[in-house]
Amino acid sequence: MSHRIEITTRDGQAFEFACEPEQDVLAAAAAAQITLPSQCRRGSCGACHASVAEGGYVLGAHSADALPQGDPQAVLLCCTTPRSDLRIVAPYDGTKVLLQPVAVRRARIAALETIADDTRRLELQFEPDDAYGSAAEFEAGQFVELELPERGVRRPFSLANTSNWDGRLELLIRLRADGVFSSYLREHARVGDALTVHGPQGGFGLFTESLRPRWFVAGGTGLAPVLSMLRRMAEYQEMNDARLFFGVNRESELFMVDELERLQAELAQLHVEFCVRDGSEPGDAGTAWRGFRGTPVDALQAALAAADASPDLYVCGPPGMVSAVQAVAAAAGVPAAQFASERFAV
Amino acid sequence: MFCYQCEQTDRSHATPGCASAKGNCGKDATTADLQDLLIHAVKGIAQYNALARGLGKPEREADRFILYAMFTTLTNVNFNAARFVGMLREAAQHRDRVKKAYETLAFAQGVVVREPAGPARWQAGANVAELQAQARLVGVDAGLETVGADIVGLRALVLYGLKGVCAYAHHARVLGYESEEVYAGVEATLEFLAHEPAQADALLEHALALGSLNLKVMELLDAANTGRFGNQQPTAVRMTPVAGKAILVSGHDLGDLEALLEATRESGVQIYTHGEMLPAHAYPKLKAYPHLAGNYGGAWQDQQADFANFPGPVLMTSNCLIEPLPQYRQRVFTTGPVGWPGVRHLEHGAFAPLVQAALALPGFRETGPEETITVGFARHTVLGVADKVIDAVKAGQIRHFFLIGGCDGAAPGRNYYTEFAEAAPDDTVVMTLGCNKYRFNRHAFGDIGGIPRLLDLGQCNDSYSAIRIAVALAEAFECGVNDLPLSLVISWFEQKAAAVLLTLLALGIRNIRLGPTLPAFLTPGVLQILVDQFGIQPIGDAQADLAAALARKAA
Repeated sequence: MSHRIEITTRDGQAFEFACEPEQDVLAAAAAAQITLPSQCRRGSCGACHASVAEGGYVLGAHSADALPQGDPQAVLLCCTTPRSDLRIVAPYDGTKVLLQPVAVRRARIAALETIADDTRRLELQFEPDDAYGSAAEFEAGQFVELELPERGVRRPFSLANTSNWDGRLELLIRLRADGVFSSYLREHARVGDALTVHGPQGGFGLFTESLRPRWFVAGGTGLAPVLSMLRRMAEYQEMNDARLFFGVNRESELFMVDELERLQAELAQLHVEFCVRDGSEPGDAGTAWRGFRGTPVDALQAALAAADASPDLYVCGPPGMVSAVQAVAAAAGVPAAQFASERFAV
Repeated sequence: MFCYQCEQTDRSHATPGCASAKGNCGKDATTADLQDLLIHAVKGIAQYNALARGLGKPEREADRFILYAMFTTLTNVNFNAARFVGMLREAAQHRDRVKKAYETLAFAQGVVVREPAGPARWQAGANVAELQAQARLVGVDAGLETVGADIVGLRALVLYGLKGVCAYAHHARVLGYESEEVYAGVEATLEFLAHEPAQADALLEHALALGSLNLKVMELLDAANTGRFGNQQPTAVRMTPVAGKAILVSGHDLGDLEALLEATRESGVQIYTHGEMLPAHAYPKLKAYPHLAGNYGGAWQDQQADFANFPGPVLMTSNCLIEPLPQYRQRVFTTGPVGWPGVRHLEHGAFAPLVQAALALPGFRETGPEETITVGFARHTVLGVADKVIDAVKAGQIRHFFLIGGCDGAAPGRNYYTEFAEAAPDDTVVMTLGCNKYRFNRHAFGDIGGIPRLLDLGQCNDSYSAIRIAVALAEAFECGVNDLPLSLVISWFEQKAAAVLLTLLALGIRNIRLGPTLPAFLTPGVLQILVDQFGIQPIGDAQADLAAALARKAA
């Protein structure tokens, strides 16, 4: 059973959230999208000190210097786990507490094009607003939910471009036979249409501090967040070795090939392997696919077997593909901490 | 990793120091190790450049690289492991070039070509794993088993002091002020450390010599700041926003601020200072820009809230950066020695993306009610009214001076400085510098016969001003600085403060109160030496310390 935590700031603002019995208060606040001041998060620096006004708790291992003197109820929130509901008094004002609600903004369709069988590239332009201006700020790998006004339909899609000051979002969307959003895009969507954008959201993204090679596995439109990460690497001129295993079922489903070639020119270390499962088109047996025939999971497995050291793995695609990659990676000894994935919502 | 260079180092174990996967500052083990190796590599450059200097031809580009590389290893400057891999390759190239030039010169002059041992012979590992393996042999606690904790601590005192010296010298050099004497001193110290000194006396002597060298560096930096931007003048700084698009500039580099002010001239974007940039408002050349709008936020440890709440992009020009939160990570930019993985780095004043970001982001919707504080009491201002100050002392209107300054930080014990400053009696004057001032600079101190009771001397980079003021007062009263009714109450956080502390000790200044905790690298043995020779004392209870300072009158 979780405990209720109430934190009151110096200027009287109150923040409430739930905390699991083994969770520290700082982590519980973060889980509730409340960022309390902290730095080292392990009982040493003192930045998260506060005072418990009411309730039972356990204060874990910490440095005595980090606690203010003379307050027997002083705690460090990073190592305080509740034993009951807690009322906590914080020594800072409410402006120090950061809340990050998911942004809700309006955007218009700036471009809509077919880039492969049943695959659309959708470009949106944010309308300027008071809270966010005209910027599109997000981490490479994040997604937004698009909502059709008046229909109440919300669908998540990864962003394929990078954070920018022009207010542009680029999405790669695979049309489904019976989807409400798919039928909108297929039949009704026009440049200039307004959509509601919820986001950015999600934690899929680069392990930015890592110096290891970065290997990306993308199935179909799972390329979108991967493309965002590769573009960001190019923008920031990051030097990590990079390989992309991009898989589709049929050659006619490939897309963004020119863009990937352009990226290879900017990121000299990038190696792209296009993987086509069914190597020839139905009724077109003469022009067989000359590249890798098989799934990106097969291609990855072969590459991992030949690799000197474990890369970081970034995977996006259908759930079955993500699970298969996870199994292949585990079998090859890639540590779980080097594995990041996003599954298509089905 | 093993790192205990800052005040925030992990003290939750028997042996202080950050030694796990990540330091308390947010620096990961890979970055920490690569920083240790970079210092090793830089010692090698210094060994060869010292030889070249001996033959009359040191390499200036190598001198400059040494300052820059050392600066990147200070606390809260550069967290980007990839940058350190690149700098290690550069270091090897610098060393090879200096070595070749030295050998050619020695041959031409007909003198014996020497081949220094130790770091000068380092060959960069082929990959990150090899570099990390090399780093493990050259950490700051290398040789602990053979030489003992006191020697390791004294080496750390010299190294950390040197880091501060290099940071200050780099600040001066990017403003176009360099000194052969300073380069020679820096490299002599690196060469000294390259020989793994194990004599406590020699180490202490070098530490104090470094303090004297730092005084020259601070003088050079003072000349750079005033030479480029004029002498500080008392200036009221707006502490509340004005409506419009906005950029926040943090860190210490006034040259970067000037470049940004130029880049945003007539763009409609207002520039705000953060943290240690506050004194910029007092310089005539900088305050002449009408869009240098005001100061925003508090000291560096408040930046996560300050930057998240600021409605525009942020430029971090030097220390002190802490982990950029997702709320603002896309709109924080680093320049110069600063870096964080995944944060956009801009070089050479190419600030166009920053301006683009400012125009796209909302800016301040409303103008806040005007609130100001007054800054600009550097040496020219204070010494300009020296007669008045001296008269006030003689007339008994000013009983005592306090210098309450240094770095700020998150530790709760730092409330001491607020309490101390606010409790200082009405017939005392509080001088301050560094970001520690944010603990009390909005308090209404009032004035003594027109002399403000709170005198903001500037950045920690302006310590030279404090020293000049103290020396001038001592001359006026025909006494030593230690005989003045002056108490130094210093708060430290990182290695710039270590350099300034060594300068104060080299000047023979006694009875400094140091807090909020004493450096972890000062072992009890070393601390005892400092207590015996210089009367250094840890801070205690603010009221009691204040009473003791007033009772002592002279140190």
